[in-house]
Amino acid sequence: MRVTGNYFADQFVSTVNGLSARQQKLQNEISTGQRISAPEDDPAAVQRTLNLQADQQAVTQYASNISTLQDRATTSFNAIKSVKTVSDRAGEIATMSDGTRSPDELQAYATEVTQLIKQTVQTMNTKDGDSYIFGGTQTSQPPYVIATDANGNVTSVTYQGNTGVADKPIADGTTVAVDVPGSNTTGTGQQGVITDSRTGADFFNHLISLQNHLLAGDTASIASTDTPALGKDENNIISQISNNGAIQTQLETAQTANTQQATSLTQQVSTQADADITDTIVQLNQAQYAYQAALQSGAGIMQKSLLDYLP
Amino acid sequence: MGARSLQAQQTAVEIAGQNLANVNNPAYARQRVQMQTSPTISSTLGEQGTGVQVTAIQQMRDALLDSQITGETSVGGYWNSQQSGLQSAQIGLGEYIDSTSGSATSTDGTTSGIADDLSGLFSAFKSVATSPESLTDRQLLMSNAQTLATRLNQASTNLSNVKDQLNQSLDGNVKDANQLISDIANLNKSISAAEAPGGSQPNDLIDLRQSKLESLANLVNITSSTGDNGAVNISIDGNQIVSDSTVADTLQTYDAGGGQMLVRTATGGTPLNLTGGEMKGTIDARDGTLATLQTGLDTLASQLITQVNAIHDVGYGMSGTSGAKFFNGSDASDISVNSALVSDPSLVQAAGAPGASGDNSVALALSQLANAPQAGLGNQTFSQAYSQTVAGLGYSLNNANTQVNDSTKVQSMLSQQRDSVSGVSIDEEMTSLIGFQKAYEASAKLVTAVDQMLETVISMKT
Repeated sequence: MRVTGNYFADQFVSTVNGLSARQQKLQNEISTGQRISAPEDDPAAVQRTLNLQADQQAVTQYASNISTLQDRATTSFNAIKSVKTVSDRAGEIATMSDGTRSPDELQAYATEVTQLIKQTVQTMNTKDGDSYIFGGTQTSQPPYVIATDANGNVTSVTYQGNTGVADKPIADGTTVAVDVPGSNTTGTGQQGVITDSRTGADFFNHLISLQNHLLAGDTASIASTDTPALGKDENNIISQISNNGAIQTQLETAQTANTQQATSLTQQVSTQADADITDTIVQLNQAQYAYQAALQSGAGIMQKSLLDYLP
Repeated sequence: MGARSLQAQQTAVEIAGQNLANVNNPAYARQRVQMQTSPTISSTLGEQGTGVQVTAIQQMRDALLDSQITGETSVGGYWNSQQSGLQSAQIGLGEYIDSTSGSATSTDGTTSGIADDLSGLFSAFKSVATSPESLTDRQLLMSNAQTLATRLNQASTNLSNVKDQLNQSLDGNVKDANQLISDIANLNKSISAAEAPGGSQPNDLIDLRQSKLESLANLVNITSSTGDNGAVNISIDGNQIVSDSTVADTLQTYDAGGGQMLVRTATGGTPLNLTGGEMKGTIDARDGTLATLQTGLDTLASQLITQVNAIHDVGYGMSGTSGAKFFNGSDASDISVNSALVSDPSLVQAAGAPGASGDNSVALALSQLANAPQAGLGNQTFSQAYSQTVAGLGYSLNNANTQVNDSTKVQSMLSQQRDSVSGVSIDEEMTSLIGFQKAYEASAKLVTAVDQMLETVISMKT
């Protein structure tokens, strides 16, 4: 085929352009660490990567949810534990208040029980951040309201929360209810901490009853009604503690699974989108050599023509 | 004889000079002098030659290659304009992969596009579901929702602008094509006049006309045929456009309905069914991939609006209010977040019943929307439907890229072949130049010799 100078020049330009473009692409891959960037690079991989990244975002959010709920469960646990402490002490007082005690001692116990009631109300009105945790879904107002008489004795403790329980999302298709209501007299749903119709617990009322019996010096009633009543309360509280433990375990398991999923997704995204740096660097070197060789040889050939040799 | 020879060699040198001067003119086809012995004289010794004469200046051109190149130029023009249109669409959509964005620990980290914002919205729903009474989480929800709405608006506007640009470029193409058509008709006139019996082949005009034909073919696929008088007749989709030296028809754009500009003949008003060239590429990019992309975004936005509002409508805000919409608007161009909710996030209806701010059932349902296959999106989730839309654009553009590469290679091969026939080689011309120069010197020597001989004869007398 007859080859002219122009043909050679055009070939040279297009080859050099091609090599230059290849170098630029490889350089870009190395500096971003990514094999694909725009949808045109590899549409199937881009689609998969976008889907994986949507999953990654969801997993990250779930991790944050789990962490929030773990804090809440811990707050709940601490509150229930201090209620248990009160329950233990109340039981002790009830047992010790028999006929052998002097009226003064009984009065002292009554005062102590009053204090215990107030302390427990305060505990049960614990907040986690912006919300009261023992009011059911009624989280914007304190669950318990205390009423006292002129002498400072507690006359009643009223529950103004509800029995609703909010399911919080911790994974796709999985929710967990961390909160427990203070009182549940409906007979269904989450067991109440203080009052529950199924277990017969009614801690505040039992404590008020104990307080009143102590004030009246009625040790017989204490033995016959208060002590067994407080026993039911204690069992209820113990089961609350183990329930909380179960919830915390569930959250920990979810957290582990979540971390594993996050790692797996990161690996999958990396497989789709990341450049194999070693391989890319080798290819870049090859492209650079080819570019250099093309420039050198082309420059040499292009310069020569017959005119150089004519006198 | 000597004089005639001198003239012939001089002409040859001029042609060589012409070739050398046009070495870098891509439209130029090299010319060659055709020399022939001049008519012989009968003499007693037989036929005696009278020297050389230049009979024609011939242009080295292969008509088959020319028509192949014209055809391939149309294909190249088609894919090039598709590629550039779709590139603009890709930039307008603004969806790029950032492989580190998904593993960021914050939910509102570096965002790279609609996909990220969509995930951000659902993450915010999840976080409000976890802490429904937290104003911080609600504010974040509003912020994420606004970011998504704004980005959808932006993408929609960008794509709409790309569509306008493509319409404008179609207009520009049509104007250029009409100019080329009238130029070709004029050239036809000049060429036919020059090729009339008694005239000669106007090589330079033919070169010019061929280059204009190729420019026209780049814009629109043409069918051309050469008439007996040397004129090239052009038709597009069966409609005669250039007939001899007259412009039989020109092109114009028209609105086919819905702002869709197409091409038709000006006088006849016949819509043209184009098969190649930049015009067709622009039209296909605009009405094919770009339209699909815009529809995909609009469907996504309208489904999102409908589904979110349906769930949110029946919920209750922190103060017991209900019935407020979450999203306003109907598609990607006008989706927006209810401004009342933005200024007071406590009005977001996260609860299933009034009066209990810890009730998160509506927020939970909203967060579960992320994984729910939507009937209106082909039973895919929102994120899946969007990534499929993006991939659709990617496939089209990837294909256009491949086709452009292939077409460029084919065009390059064809022009190499043409170059080997018609291209000027400096070495060759220089060699011919030296040859003609030597012949000129030799002829001059002949004249001198004859002159000397005559002088000898004349001086014989004196």
